[in-house]
Amino acid sequence: MEPPPGEKKVAGKSPTRIAFDRLRKDKVAVVCTIVVILLVIAAAFAPLINKMLNIYGEASSLPYSPTDVLYFGGPNNGLPNVGPPVNGFTADHPLGLSPGQGLDNLARLLLGLRTSLLIATLATVISTIVGVVIGLVAGFSRGWLDRLLMFTTDLFLSFPFILGAMAMAPILRARFNDEDIDGLGRAQLIALIVILVFFGWMGLARLIRGQVLSLREREFIQAAQVIGVPTRQILFKELLPNMVAPIIVSISLSLPAFVTAEAGLSYLGIGLTGQPSLGQTIFDAQNYFEVYPLYLWAPVVTITILVLALNLLGDAIRDAFDPKTRR
Amino acid sequence: MAGFIVRRLLTAFLVVVLTSIFVFVLFFKGLGDAPANQACERALKDRCTSEAREVFAERMDLRKPLTENYKNFVVGIFKGREISLGASPQKYACPAPCLGISIGNGNALVTDELKDKYPATLTLAVGGAAIYLVLGVVLGSVAARRRGSALDRGMMASTLVISSIPFYLVALLSWIYLTQQAQVFPQTGYFPITDNPAKTAAGLLLPWLVIGLTNATQYARFSRGQMVDVLSEDYIRTASAKGLRSNRVVFKHGLRAAIVPVITIFGLDFATLLAGTVFTERIFGIDGIGNWSIQALRNPLDFSVISAAVLVSATLVVLANLIVDILYSFLDPRVTVS
Repeated sequence: MEPPPGEKKVAGKSPTRIAFDRLRKDKVAVVCTIVVILLVIAAAFAPLINKMLNIYGEASSLPYSPTDVLYFGGPNNGLPNVGPPVNGFTADHPLGLSPGQGLDNLARLLLGLRTSLLIATLATVISTIVGVVIGLVAGFSRGWLDRLLMFTTDLFLSFPFILGAMAMAPILRARFNDEDIDGLGRAQLIALIVILVFFGWMGLARLIRGQVLSLREREFIQAAQVIGVPTRQILFKELLPNMVAPIIVSISLSLPAFVTAEAGLSYLGIGLTGQPSLGQTIFDAQNYFEVYPLYLWAPVVTITILVLALNLLGDAIRDAFDPKTRR
Repeated sequence: MAGFIVRRLLTAFLVVVLTSIFVFVLFFKGLGDAPANQACERALKDRCTSEAREVFAERMDLRKPLTENYKNFVVGIFKGREISLGASPQKYACPAPCLGISIGNGNALVTDELKDKYPATLTLAVGGAAIYLVLGVVLGSVAARRRGSALDRGMMASTLVISSIPFYLVALLSWIYLTQQAQVFPQTGYFPITDNPAKTAAGLLLPWLVIGLTNATQYARFSRGQMVDVLSEDYIRTASAKGLRSNRVVFKHGLRAAIVPVITIFGLDFATLLAGTVFTERIFGIDGIGNWSIQALRNPLDFSVISAAVLVSATLVVLANLIVDILYSFLDPRVTVS
């Protein structure tokens, strides 16, 4: 409720409130938020934008034959015969067409951004839930369960991520394998999220456990235990609201990490192959750096801006929640 | 102290055993009959019927219980064993330490291949790690000493930006533009250090620099934080008040206390590097563990290679953890182990 004019409001602010006030004054954070929001909108409405601009990013939906828009033979073999790099800019395809496939680069970029953000968001949500639950349970249960959970966490931490992903990718794919392209695409998507979650929950679990260990000795938790509040309610109603800050910080820092990991795995060929992905596009484009730099630079710049903005925002959020820093 | 080391060794051993069980179950249960089917299709092409698949699976021990297969696998590591590839009843000898047979590479022994590829990864990791440790600590100390100055703020802002950009993009772009186009750096790759050390250094110069510079930023930030804490301690003020030169105070008295946590992180990072610098090796065309495992994923899928790479790398990380933990109690007299 707004205080009446002339009267100064004397009210306590929650730590989250203070953090958001500090964030709003942080210029870097504001700029990064705007960039991220714009990219999220572009990704969310990618199919609609592509339809409006009449551009196509997937081979299965292409209304024209790739042979119509590509050169064959000669020095320009495989390059598109409309737009860059051979002919100048054309408004029909603002970022040109991809060599060899005849797909629109802008459409592919937007769809790639969409998959990237979708995978990163899902992986962040699931790994956050897993991490929080394991951390809460481990921190609250003394004795063998705590030791077992922490041992498992350390076990996962000693597993090299990329090699683990390389080992799991073909197995998961063999498990979900379907003959049709659609099924394979979905299998790869699920496999990738499973891999990212598998190697992404440990940091938060340890952090939450540490928080629980210190919070459980406080009076309000002991009081709740004494009056017989069920354990589940203590965990999720009493403890969890006190850990909003570390969870938000962890979410804001794992999003860019997952975007980076997804594109990296797709670049290596163990992530997505059946659908547009920024990493896959970079892999396709790396040999065209001389004849068709735009093809390479469009996904490189997009992913750099996305990850940079998310990381800087995450860093600003961490500082905003940290009472010791002055920005 | 001895009790701590023994307990730590036991835990490390347990982790290695559990990892090996995990890797084993992942590959031998997770894949099901896929290796047999793949071998069958490779050997018989179209004539690979379901009966033929069954014969292949039988020969490759896929019909035996998991525990027996795991026992064979462990015995193979310590004593060696014989492996059938399915195509014929013939068995290939695999002497200890046996990690399997690589079907992708003319049925070579995985252990031999591993020995063959490891020097490249090791040389790459050692060079890159040396650069980032030294550069990071020096930059961090300098920034901490001039805390709040334009130099400090500029340095910290740029480290934040550099560490936010995906590493593989930096590696890819520097390879494309510095080696391929501008040819500032010689063609990258691994040339055995025993043949011609100068050529080794030339081929790895750019990869070393890329690993070194991108990771140095993180170390600069971290050692700056540590150094800022240490430099505000009373004993540093005492040392300055005594009239010691500023350099001596910072680098002899300050750094010694600040570097312990940095070394801890370094141990773990170095182990990760040793575990396979997949992106670096792939982009710069260095024939090490990372590139080897990536190639094993191409057709035909070479599972013994990937499982061996995972197992060896995980063991290295566990060992590094162990060494760091034990070193920590020696380096920092405040740490007591009970």
